[in-house]
Amino acid sequence: MIDVLTENLDQFASGLWVTTRLVLVSFVIALLLGTVVAALRVAPSRWLQRLGALYVEIFRNLPLLVLLFISFAGLRRAGVDIGPWTAGIASLGIYTSAYVAEALRSGVFAVSRGQIEASLSLGLTQAQTLRQIVLPQAFRTVIAPLGSITIAMVKNSAIVGASLLALPDLLKQARVVNSNTFQTTESFFWAAVGYMLLTVTATVIFRALESRYAVRR
Amino acid sequence: MRTDLWRLFLVALTACALALGAASCGDDEEEPAGGGTAQEEATAEAEEFPAGSTMAAIQERGEIRIGVKYDVPPFGFRNPNTGDVEGFDVDFGMAVAEKLGVEAELVEAISDNRIPFIQDGTVDLVLSTMTINAERAEEIGFTDPYFIARGRILVPGDSDIAGIDDLAGRKVCTALGSTYEETLKTEAPEADLRLVDAYSECLELLQNGAVDAISTDDVILTGMIIQDDTLQLVGDELTVEPYGGGFKKDDTEFAEFLNGVLEEYKADGWQQSYDEWLGQYTGEEASPPDQTLDEVLAG
Repeated sequence: MIDVLTENLDQFASGLWVTTRLVLVSFVIALLLGTVVAALRVAPSRWLQRLGALYVEIFRNLPLLVLLFISFAGLRRAGVDIGPWTAGIASLGIYTSAYVAEALRSGVFAVSRGQIEASLSLGLTQAQTLRQIVLPQAFRTVIAPLGSITIAMVKNSAIVGASLLALPDLLKQARVVNSNTFQTTESFFWAAVGYMLLTVTATVIFRALESRYAVRR
Repeated sequence: MRTDLWRLFLVALTACALALGAASCGDDEEEPAGGGTAQEEATAEAEEFPAGSTMAAIQERGEIRIGVKYDVPPFGFRNPNTGDVEGFDVDFGMAVAEKLGVEAELVEAISDNRIPFIQDGTVDLVLSTMTINAERAEEIGFTDPYFIARGRILVPGDSDIAGIDDLAGRKVCTALGSTYEETLKTEAPEADLRLVDAYSECLELLQNGAVDAISTDDVILTGMIIQDDTLQLVGDELTVEPYGGGFKKDDTEFAEFLNGVLEEYKADGWQQSYDEWLGQYTGEEASPPDQTLDEVLAG
């Protein structure tokens, strides 16, 4: 069992590294875009709200694989010189941002109306209220759901490597090892261990954040 | 009242689950592993085989499950007009089925899953442009070669790549689990390999400019040129790729039977199939390979 890992350590390690980078960069994109979209969805303008809702509905309702095809093969056919890495992090990041936006929106609604009224009556603008009063509390409320979204994103990253983009991620490398050694069970067992490493790390980080920052009501 | 409703709901749910389960079980019987198509009529007269042999088991079942490619013209591909899976590999498979007097149940087998399919019994026989080599012969049994392909490189018409030496630093596509993964790593170590599941994906990547070249068997590449004549073959032949049928390792009876069918097929059937699927596009003459498996493995 262990020899499949030790003899192909380079391949598993490089795959894990690609997957880790893919997940980290996509997570940052998802968090930034998700925050912006959540802000749109609770904005005072009806049109901004609709724009945010449109974004969420589009990217939450498309399978990730379809998004990957559109963002890579589709854009390239249309003459945009997009690489597999860019298409991969953009697709995974945007796809996940729709879920982040929904989680944050629920967090925003958990902040009591009274605080917002108090903030506005003290002379803070709508934007200041959102940024300084509402969002910090919203984030603290949704740490647990963000953790779940992150774990789902780690697993979704395998779709990026398996798609047309052909990124050499952990799953792809495990399949290369499998095709070279014919040790199917072992190859995928070690891929599973790699994904578990990432998801368990994410779980630990989010647990720590939760115990430190989560709002107890 | 409340419990009655709850019970009714549970009964309905169970009924639905059972109905769905039964439906999908039914599908499994007809279409193992993701959709096959029965195409050949069983013939009345067929040889008798000793009980316990793979041939007898197949006759008992009434169909032989054959793993072929669905996206590699002209060896195994779905005819867009009829929806049937056709090609050079499929023709040989039909000859085997006919000899057994059973129907052929085609199953899609990509490069990456065809060996597991043989090992776990999903298919009885794989005919999917599979090169005979020593590593694979450790895992599965091979027939004598039924076709000899040659490794080449396919590039867009305006490419500056003229051969294997120009692949350094360029993006080259081939299928995960194919022999070219190894070939390219040794022959063009500087090339940036893109490994995909199916050759049809390589074609898409070459056409949209995401890769600079595809490397695989000349005949598969010819199939791509048939689809897109702006592409061209370049360079000398990289490798010789004898195709063999794959089956469960150490099934010597089945091996003998298959090689017997192949011998007859080479004399009657092979040439017609070659002309139909390859000769008319390449304009080249070819005759059936006369090597045996042992000669191929001895290199």
